[in-house]
Amino acid sequence: MIYFFDGTKNGFLTTFCTAFKDENALVTHTQAQLVLGQESVCVTTNEDVAKRAEERLSVFDRDFSYDLDILMRSGMPDHAQIAFRYFRLLAKYKKPINKRLADADVFAAVSCMKKVGHEIHKLHGFVRFIETASDALYAPISPDNDICDLLAPHFRARFPLFPFVIHDVKRKKAAVYDGKHIFVAPLEQADVLLSANETEWQALWQRYYKSVTIAARTSTEREKQMRGNMPIRYWKFLTELQETPQNPDEN
Amino acid sequence: MFDFCLCARYNIGMISEERLKILTESAKYDVSCSSSGSGRKNQGGMGNGYAAGCCHSFTPDGRCISLLKIVLSNDCVYDCKYCPNRVSADVPRTTATPDEICELTIDFYKRNYIEGLFLSSAVFKNPDYTMERLLLVVKKLRTEYRFHGYIHLKGIPKADERLMHEAAKYADRMSYNVELPTEQSLKLLAPLKRKEILLWPLRSWAVQKEQFREANRKGLIKGHFLPAGQTTQMIIGASPEADGQILRLSQALYRKNGLKRVYYSSYVPVVQDKLLPTVGAGQLREHRLYQADWLLRFYGFSVEEIINEGENLAMEYDPKCAWALKNMHLFPIEINRAPLEMLLRVPGIGAKNAYKILEARKYTILSFESLQKMRIALKRAKHFITCNGKFFGEKNECAVRGLLAAAETQESAEQLDLFGMLSTPQNALIALHGQL
Repeated sequence: MIYFFDGTKNGFLTTFCTAFKDENALVTHTQAQLVLGQESVCVTTNEDVAKRAEERLSVFDRDFSYDLDILMRSGMPDHAQIAFRYFRLLAKYKKPINKRLADADVFAAVSCMKKVGHEIHKLHGFVRFIETASDALYAPISPDNDICDLLAPHFRARFPLFPFVIHDVKRKKAAVYDGKHIFVAPLEQADVLLSANETEWQALWQRYYKSVTIAARTSTEREKQMRGNMPIRYWKFLTELQETPQNPDEN
Repeated sequence: MFDFCLCARYNIGMISEERLKILTESAKYDVSCSSSGSGRKNQGGMGNGYAAGCCHSFTPDGRCISLLKIVLSNDCVYDCKYCPNRVSADVPRTTATPDEICELTIDFYKRNYIEGLFLSSAVFKNPDYTMERLLLVVKKLRTEYRFHGYIHLKGIPKADERLMHEAAKYADRMSYNVELPTEQSLKLLAPLKRKEILLWPLRSWAVQKEQFREANRKGLIKGHFLPAGQTTQMIIGASPEADGQILRLSQALYRKNGLKRVYYSSYVPVVQDKLLPTVGAGQLREHRLYQADWLLRFYGFSVEEIINEGENLAMEYDPKCAWALKNMHLFPIEINRAPLEMLLRVPGIGAKNAYKILEARKYTILSFESLQKMRIALKRAKHFITCNGKFFGEKNECAVRGLLAAAETQESAEQLDLFGMLSTPQNALIALHGQL
C-alpha cells in the first residue's frame, strides 16, 4: 500500500501510526512515486495522534524530534520512506538505534541525516552576502535540502548588528533576521538595491580569488577535486566564480 | 557605545586591485589555511570562532580558501634563495597600511567570503619594526574594529619576545616557519635565518601557553592566549633531507612543543638560482608526508615504526600499507574482536570507519557484506582482516603488494580532499563522529 501525506511533520507522524503494521508500506508525499496497479491511500493529518506518537517515540530516543525534523528537511525523493523504516525500527527496539550501522535501514537514515548536516556545514562557508543600500545583508541560496532557517543562527551569532535575509530561491522562502529575531517568511523575489561600494568589494574578492590560485599547480585532476569539494550546483551564487560582480536583480 | 557600522563605512582606504594582487601573490605559497580550533565568542562587533573550521571556497589548484591570506608588505630586506620576494629579486613592491588590511578583513568577512585573516609579512626595515606593524594590525582589528573572527598571525624571526607575547593575546593561532629541516640547508639557502632562532619561539610559546593555562585555571587572568595553538611549515624538496629526517623533526615538534600542525609545502621553482633544484618536488611526495603525519597524530604510530631516518617514503603505496607489508605477521586480524588500536592500523580503514566498526559490532556479528553495506572501502583492507573467521583477500604477499599499488593509482586524487578539513585533534574527533 502507498501512503500519501501532506509533507508536514504531523502528517508524517499520523501516517507513521496508520502504516505501522503494513510490512510493504511505501510512505511518500510526492505524486511522482505513484506506481500503477498499487493501492494507495491519502492520510489525513491528525494532530492528537501525531502528538502522542512524538511523545512516545521521544521516550525511546530523546533525539527523536530533532532527527525527525532533519529527515523531513531532506531533499532526497524517498526521505519519508527512509524515515518511516528507521522510526519503525526505533519502535521495535525501544532504545536509540543510530549506532546499528550494519542494518540497512539505519544506515540509510543516518546517511540521509548526515547529508543534511553536511550541507548546512558547507553552506556556512558558501553563503555569499550582498550588502544592500540599507546596510542589511542579502544572500540567495538554492540548497538541496530545506535548511535556510537552520543556517540563520550561525550568522546571527556572527553579525548580531546586521539584519540579514537568507533567501532559498528554489523553495521561495527566506530566513530573516531583523536584528532581534529570526523568522521564516515566504519570499518569491527580492528587490535588492546595492550599497555604494558593493560592486567594488565584489571585484576585489574576485581579484583575490584569481591571485591566490597557484597556476603551476592547477590540473584537471585538481579541478575535479575542487568540484568535489564545491559542487557546480553551488557556483551560481558564488561571487568569485562569476565573470562580473553579482547583482541579484539580473538573475 | 562604539558605533561599529560607522567605522566600517568611513572607507579609510579601500585597497586597489593591483596592490591586493601583489600582496596576495606574495602570500599564496604559504600552506596553512585552517581556521579550526578557536571557539572565540562574539562580544559585540563582528565575528566569532568556528571550532570545526570552515572552508569558504576552493580554487582550481585543489586548495581551499578559509582565511584571507595576505602579507602586510612584500618589501623584504632578506635574501632567502627560494623566496620570490628576496631583496635581490626584481618584482613590484608594496606595503599596506594597517587600516587597509582591517577594512579588507571586515568587508570580506561581512560578506562571508572568509573565516578570518592570515597575516604575514616580508621583513621590512628590521624584524622588530615589522612585528610592531603586524601587532598594530591585529590590535586594531580586535579593539577598534571589534573583530572576533579568526586571526592567524605569522611571527617574524628575531623580533623582540615582548612583541610576540603581546601578539599572542590577540591572535588565535601563530606560526613560525621552520622552512628547512636542517641547519645546513638553512645556512645554504636562508643565510639570515638560523635553526635556534626558528625553533626557539615555538618552544617559548609552548611554555607561555602552559603558564597561561595554569593562571587561567586559578582564576588569576582572563582572556585568550593562542586558543588555536601554533603551527609551522617546511619546504620539501628544495634541500636534500630524507622523509625520515623530516618526520622525526615533526614528531619532536608535536611531542615537545605541542604544535597543532606541521605543514609540508612541496617546493615550486619560482626562482632561478644555482643552489636550487630546477624541478619542483612532486605533489605525491607532499601527499605521502601528510599521510605519515596523520599516522603520527591520529593513528597511534611513532615515526620509528614508519620509516628509518635516512629513507624516503614509498611512492607506490601509502605509509600505512608500507608498514603493514613489513608486519604481515600481525595480520589478518578479526574485525569482530580486534581492539581499536589494531583496527586503526589496517590499511584502508580510516579513523572514522574504525569507530563505525567498533559501534556496529556491539549489536551484531559483522560479515564481509555488513562492512560493504556500511560503505567501508575494502579494496585494501580485505587482505588484512577476517570477518567472522572468513578471509576474502589474497594470501600471496607478492600479489598483495601488486594489488595495493594498483588500488593506489586509482585513488590517489580522492584522498587529497581531507587536507583542509581535519586540522586539529578536536576537529578530527568531530569528524570521527561524523559531524564534519
